[in-house]
Amino acid sequence: MTQDITAPLAGKIVRLSMEVGMKVEEDDEALVIEAMKMETPVFIPCNGTITAVKVKAGDTVEEDDVLGVVEEA
Amino acid sequence: MKSYFEKMTDLGSELKKGRIRWMTWDGDDNTKNIEDAEAQINEAVNQVKNAGFPTEKINARGEMTVWQRLEYLVDPGTWNPLHTLFNPLANDEGTTNVIDGLGKISGKWAVIIGFDNKVMAGAWLPGQSENILRATDLSKRLNIPLVWLVNCSGAKLPEQEKFYANRRGAGTPFFRHAELAQLGVPVLAGIYGTNPAGGGYQGISPAVLFAHKNCNIAVGGAGIVSGMAPKGYFDQETAEILIEKTKQFKSKPPGSVKIHYDETGFFRYVYEEEQGVLDGLKAYMKEMPAYHPRFYRVAEPKDPRFSVEELYRLLPLEPKKVYDFDEILARLVDGSEHMEFRPGYGPEIYTGLCKIDGFLVGCIGNRQGYLGKEYPEYADYPGIGGKLYRQGLIKMNEFVTLCGRDRVPVIWFQDTSGIDVGDLAEKAELLGLGQSLIYSIQQTDVPMMLVVLRKGSAAAHYVMGGPTANRHNAFTLGTVATEISVMHGETAAVATYARRLVKEKEAGRPLDPVIESMNQMAREYHEKSRPIFCAKTGLVDEIVAMKDLRNYLVAFTGAAYQNPKSICPHHQMILPRSIKG
Repeated sequence: MTQDITAPLAGKIVRLSMEVGMKVEEDDEALVIEAMKMETPVFIPCNGTITAVKVKAGDTVEEDDVLGVVEEA
Repeated sequence: MKSYFEKMTDLGSELKKGRIRWMTWDGDDNTKNIEDAEAQINEAVNQVKNAGFPTEKINARGEMTVWQRLEYLVDPGTWNPLHTLFNPLANDEGTTNVIDGLGKISGKWAVIIGFDNKVMAGAWLPGQSENILRATDLSKRLNIPLVWLVNCSGAKLPEQEKFYANRRGAGTPFFRHAELAQLGVPVLAGIYGTNPAGGGYQGISPAVLFAHKNCNIAVGGAGIVSGMAPKGYFDQETAEILIEKTKQFKSKPPGSVKIHYDETGFFRYVYEEEQGVLDGLKAYMKEMPAYHPRFYRVAEPKDPRFSVEELYRLLPLEPKKVYDFDEILARLVDGSEHMEFRPGYGPEIYTGLCKIDGFLVGCIGNRQGYLGKEYPEYADYPGIGGKLYRQGLIKMNEFVTLCGRDRVPVIWFQDTSGIDVGDLAEKAELLGLGQSLIYSIQQTDVPMMLVVLRKGSAAAHYVMGGPTANRHNAFTLGTVATEISVMHGETAAVATYARRLVKEKEAGRPLDPVIESMNQMAREYHEKSRPIFCAKTGLVDEIVAMKDLRNYLVAFTGAAYQNPKSICPHHQMILPRSIKG
């Protein structure tokens, strides 16, 4: 069972904190999006392993874009 | 009304490991940063506390310091200092010489105020009257006694022009004491030491006077009496006369207990010991008008379900970081419970009923972060928390109005960058709705307090119960993350210099001088909006450590419900019904 990590808002990725193969826990930081002068953290939705990362720091993303995938533990 | 208030809806959630780790990314440990910043504030507070003579020197004279008097007078654990760093005219002494705050005496809340007798024997300094007026206003707003520890050597004469006269000058507090008497708010005064001239009026203007045996109060002191034969100049003969008169008055200053207890009877009580004065005040406070808390409590008091210490992880010191306001509130209110008013409408604003120490309060705060698609509904751009939009302003107007109707005190939490701007915002009536909120607040006549969690900016700082609402705002607290300014420094620099940049560019001149001016302006804005600056200038009434915030909420709420001037029976309230539907 996999879960997508999606962008809650459009903006620029200022920090990427996940990489493929990483063991993660629910509520770990996945990345940070900067928009409207504010930094919004995006958190991992469940415990598991990161199986895909589709963005890098500096990328601009749109709302609901898939940023990464986590395989549930 | 048990079904409404005994157990409200749970608010907030337990901190998960990931969230805890999130606040320590990149070596940026939020808890440590806040604690370090709070330690700096403490250092500044200790400087004020240690101003003037050392305690030992005062004690060697057989006197207690104002701090020792406070410690003896105030019920343990109930002292909530205000204006500690207030020093608007930057006195060298580092203080206005006024020490004040909210505390309980014999179980009853009072505004307590005294002069620091370590500093020039409690002399009036620049800024002192403004400090006192904040305390008299607080007594008036909360309708609770004002208790004075008078010990005032009169004006610091070399700086008299800065505070003696004027509309809010050193004489204004005596009129405020008269106003409090008019309103039925008791002003009690414990009197110590030599109190000539202004000090005499500080002593005589309260309602009941408790005197220490060595104190005096008088229209003028020895210095004035001996100097009342002016020739227009000084010479050898005048000097000799002054020496004789001064010697005489030094041994017997006017207005002693012999005059004002035995003869005039102004002093209602005289005490042999310093503590006796304080015991007298305690005995009177026991008899002050106050409702038993059960009259107004809607439930048994409870601690929040989550530790207040978690605020150090939840409130980012870095102003660009988004956080969850509901989680902050959950660490401050009884049982971490609430009844939210109009959830989903105006998502940038939280409005809800909560309990503090078993009493009902209305809480209002800025929610942070992205507000979702299609919001604000009137605009073609996205909304972000911290800004105010149409729905949030309407919701606050409704909530405040209902709090006023139900006689519920309001606690505001600000972290706002301002009201939305532009033609679409104007068309959405935001200017009018902001002023409507000011009108709604004015209509309530209930006590309010404010915590500026991080940003207080633009008109949002006014309309969200800011200190400018000073007939309603009892006091305003800051944190180490507080930043108050009309706008962010960079925004101000753009507003000021953008056209100039265009001109210089078109004229083919170098942009460097303008860029330097812009950077300088941004730096100055930053310096003049930081917590210590806010506390010194009175933009906030105290900078409070995160762990102490709830104590102030308890003090405010307890004081507001101690002896309110009007009552709404619980079963006749509309707001809880409006929430329940």
